[in-house]
Amino acid sequence: MEIKTTEYRIWVEDAVIHYEGTMRLSGTEAYQPIMELMHNVLNSEPEEITLDLVGLDFLNSSGINLLARFTIEVRKQKSMAILVKGSTRIPWQSKSLPNLRKLHPSLQLNFV
Amino acid sequence: MPQQFGNTDVIRTFGDGSLRLRLFDGPLGLAWKHCGITSDFLGDIYSALSTQGSIEANEIRHNVTYLVNEILENALKFKAPGDIVIDTLVEDGRFRLRIANLISEEGALRFQEVLSGLQGRDPSDLLIERIERNAADPTETGSGLGLLTLMSDYGVQLGWDFRKPAEENGPVQLGTYAVLSLA
Repeated sequence: MEIKTTEYRIWVEDAVIHYEGTMRLSGTEAYQPIMELMHNVLNSEPEEITLDLVGLDFLNSSGINLLARFTIEVRKQKSMAILVKGSTRIPWQSKSLPNLRKLHPSLQLNFV
Repeated sequence: MPQQFGNTDVIRTFGDGSLRLRLFDGPLGLAWKHCGITSDFLGDIYSALSTQGSIEANEIRHNVTYLVNEILENALKFKAPGDIVIDTLVEDGRFRLRIANLISEEGALRFQEVLSGLQGRDPSDLLIERIERNAADPTETGSGLGLLTLMSDYGVQLGWDFRKPAEENGPVQLGTYAVLSLA
């Protein structure tokens, strides 16, 4: 599974979703295909889902809302773990990713 | 008198030393892509105040880009036909921004309601509350989340003024003001 444009690329390897580039889509509707890709992984019911954001340089607030909504979906699956990988060199990640832990305290957040 | 919302201390005029960009609503129209191009440009301009390649320059580039992009996305989504004028300035270690555009009278009332709902609460608490509410109700559009992210995660101070139209039922002049610490 892969979504690729000139600005960003999202692809799945097992239960790891990788994000790369700059994502500034115009709102919830525009992010829908990406949400569907993420839901496909969720529906395969893995023990753990990983969101690898290390290559995602920019994500607007509509995109952050997408991650938040997905975190809440995973939270509903009591036996599913979620790991979010971020990078300390990308400012939006150190500022906004800790909010995901407020939504789902057992979410594991690792910065490299 | 204009109606003011948010942190009214940040509402000001921009004169000498400020940089003005005008996005013309001309024959080509204003497209979504202009938000990204314009905010990247301003991020690059102001990051040049710090040593290139340093952590500070990276942080300034990102924070300025993020702020301009969010406010500009809102302007483009909700504006009435007309140009968007962007004024920026760095003063006392702070990046100051004003984005001015026209908005319909109805749109102005709706936006004022959103802004009233953001007042008097800790933006970090409100952000989490709104995310939960949006997730529970798929019809929610997430309005205000971008502004709350700026206030909560970036410590941005935001203010707005609305100037009534000269002619009856004409569009309202909206000014969005922001202050971001570069320290």
